[in-house]
Amino acid sequence: MAIRRPGPARNTDAIARMIRIDHAGEYGAVQIYRGQRAVFGRLPSKTRIARQLEHMEADEQSHLDAFDRYIAERGVRPTALSPVWRMAGFGLGVATALMGEKAAHACTEAVESVIEGHYGEQVKELEAMGETELAADFARYQAEEVAHKDLAVDEGAHDAPGYPLLSALIKTGCRIAIRVTERI
Amino acid sequence: MNEARPNRSHADQARGRLLDAALPLVPFEGWSGSLLRLAARDAGMSDDELALYCPEGVISLIVFWWRQMDESARKSIATGESPAKIRERIRRAVLLRLEAGKGHEDALARARARLLLPDGIATGAELTWKTSGMIWRAIGDTSTDANWYSKRAILTGVWTSTLAIWLSEADAEKPETKAFLDRRIANVMEFEKVKAKVNKQLAGLPDFAAIAAKMRYGTR
Repeated sequence: MAIRRPGPARNTDAIARMIRIDHAGEYGAVQIYRGQRAVFGRLPSKTRIARQLEHMEADEQSHLDAFDRYIAERGVRPTALSPVWRMAGFGLGVATALMGEKAAHACTEAVESVIEGHYGEQVKELEAMGETELAADFARYQAEEVAHKDLAVDEGAHDAPGYPLLSALIKTGCRIAIRVTERI
Repeated sequence: MNEARPNRSHADQARGRLLDAALPLVPFEGWSGSLLRLAARDAGMSDDELALYCPEGVISLIVFWWRQMDESARKSIATGESPAKIRERIRRAVLLRLEAGKGHEDALARARARLLLPDGIATGAELTWKTSGMIWRAIGDTSTDANWYSKRAILTGVWTSTLAIWLSEADAEKPETKAFLDRRIANVMEFEKVKAKVNKQLAGLPDFAAIAAKMRYGTR
């Protein structure tokens, strides 16, 4: 995909699609962390994970703010499904947090690893189009997502009960969400 | 994506010449195939060029005209002082967009009728939606969630009905249109008040996640 072809170098439709998906993704990510914090937030025994989640949510929020700006500046149509992603994200956050701290981290690990790959592909495409500025921004977001993933693994994501199934389910859900958001 | 290009493309320049030739003829020919042929002849354009620049016939020319009016309204909304209140901003923007069609009321009314025919309905709806989007962006709206859609949907209703009044009002000052627009905007504000009230009520619901958290982990 990353081969430079003749013809218009900047494909505005493709870029609009990327911005729409990523905006929805960051929005969903904020909702997941919000859901997890709604569970852990007020429990005195869970302050450690609550603080980690708060920190990660702040990162996602700053990405989301950036995508809000791209949408406004470039006149991109945002996803029509934001109410769905809001409920799905928050629900996933609450559910995994109720399963346990490790399950919550497993959720982070699964989501962030899909997003990491996704940003990676987009950075390549953007560079091929000559959109170096946007590519650099996306690469920065990708690095922060990787940091979240590494933290989740360090905190024992792989030891969550039923980890392979849970992780596969969440990853599949993320990929479906990405496909749907490309269009809607 | 409908970013304004600093330089009009060759195709757009050709469509511009075609439009200039067509507009004076609309009262006689309507938006028809013969209008397009006559306008092409006046603009010195061959049949092949016509097919290239207006692949959907006269509808392509209407689309071009409409987008041109959107663009000129966008520029006039951006210049000059913008009122502080949202409702004032919308009022000003809608009036400026109507202004863009000034002097061509008859052609515009016929274009609207043309877009109501089966092969134009989808295009007409899309154009209205884009006009609504242009107005919201031009007055500085930055919503990116469901509001992005609801705002455009609401303004689409306001715009369509106001345009109908504007087209039929003979008075150049358009007092009736302005009064009508004010009433429609007042309706929207009413709706916003109800929405705010509902959101307030919903905020009072118990926090289910916190209750579940206590059941799962205890209160320690």
